[in-house]
Amino acid sequence: MEPVPPAAVAEGRQGHYAGAVSRLVAFGADVGISWGLYLLGLAGLSFAVSLATGRTFSLDKYQLVALGVLVAWEFTYFAYQWSLGGKTLGMAILGIQVVDADGSPVTTRQAVVRTVVFPLSVVAVGLGFVGILVQRERRGWHDRLSGTAVVYSWDARAARLRWLAKQEPVAPRSR
Amino acid sequence: MSPNPITGRFESMAQAVAERVVALVVASLDVDALVQRGDVDKLVQRVDVDKLVQRVDVDALVERVDVDKLVQRVDVDALVERVDVQRLVGELDMDALVEQTELGAIIAKSTTGVATEVLDVVRAQGVGLDDFFARWTNRVLRRDPSALPVGPGALVPSTTPALPPGRRPSPEVRR
Repeated sequence: MEPVPPAAVAEGRQGHYAGAVSRLVAFGADVGISWGLYLLGLAGLSFAVSLATGRTFSLDKYQLVALGVLVAWEFTYFAYQWSLGGKTLGMAILGIQVVDADGSPVTTRQAVVRTVVFPLSVVAVGLGFVGILVQRERRGWHDRLSGTAVVYSWDARAARLRWLAKQEPVAPRSR
Repeated sequence: MSPNPITGRFESMAQAVAERVVALVVASLDVDALVQRGDVDKLVQRVDVDKLVQRVDVDALVERVDVDKLVQRVDVDALVERVDVQRLVGELDMDALVEQTELGAIIAKSTTGVATEVLDVVRAQGVGLDDFFARWTNRVLRRDPSALPVGPGALVPSTTPALPPGRRPSPEVRR
């Protein structure tokens, strides 16, 4: 396995504003996870209905219903996890977290507002995300509208120490 | 003393007289005045201190010192209070400590699993790319990274630099 690049994690980053790449990858992971869970849920539902009624069940004929379920599911996925601990599964993997703009834990209201306004950043041809790259506090539209920010929650320094610990077998020191 | 009784008596008298005379002479001497008249510096210069020290039996001297008693007289609390622990810890080379002591083995045993390693690598790559984009954005926007806030006030002190040491923008980047 490729070792952790020491230069990238030479100092602790906990609490620092997270960068665009980490956030984008985390979002990609969340989209993948949430869609995977959605499809898994649909498959489970279809299987249960076919077991109970003996007929096949599919949402293919009900596109609007399927869309409504998907939107509700995505809302639940993001809002619930953000309100719970400030991070989704994707964010947990990338070691980032949503916090209040002043650094305190995010509230349920903020989590809900963030989830509702998040599509705005996407719909506006991604313009809402430009702030993550160029704004001083790396905040996009959805961050500013919900009064939140995204920071690193990962202890990079500990990772570097783990990496160093693995580099050389430690021999007991002779005096 | 002489075997001859007459000679012996004379010798005794001479001895007594001599002792008396010496006592009178010494009593009449003003030692302070005598010392003041002497050039003490010159005298000390003539003393071979190295030779003097060589003649001292240090082991015997140390043996006579009651270390326990000496330590008991030390006010350890006052001593510890005067130590700047933060500065001391700050000067510790943690990398070297982990690499060269058994601490590294303990960290490796207790914290390193495959999942941890994978996460460390993914996150470190993310942080590295975040820094890369942040550097170029700052360069393009001609921003001084040290003037940017690194994180929400409640999470990081405002003095922390935005980028790790050695990752300053090129000199042409100005505010």
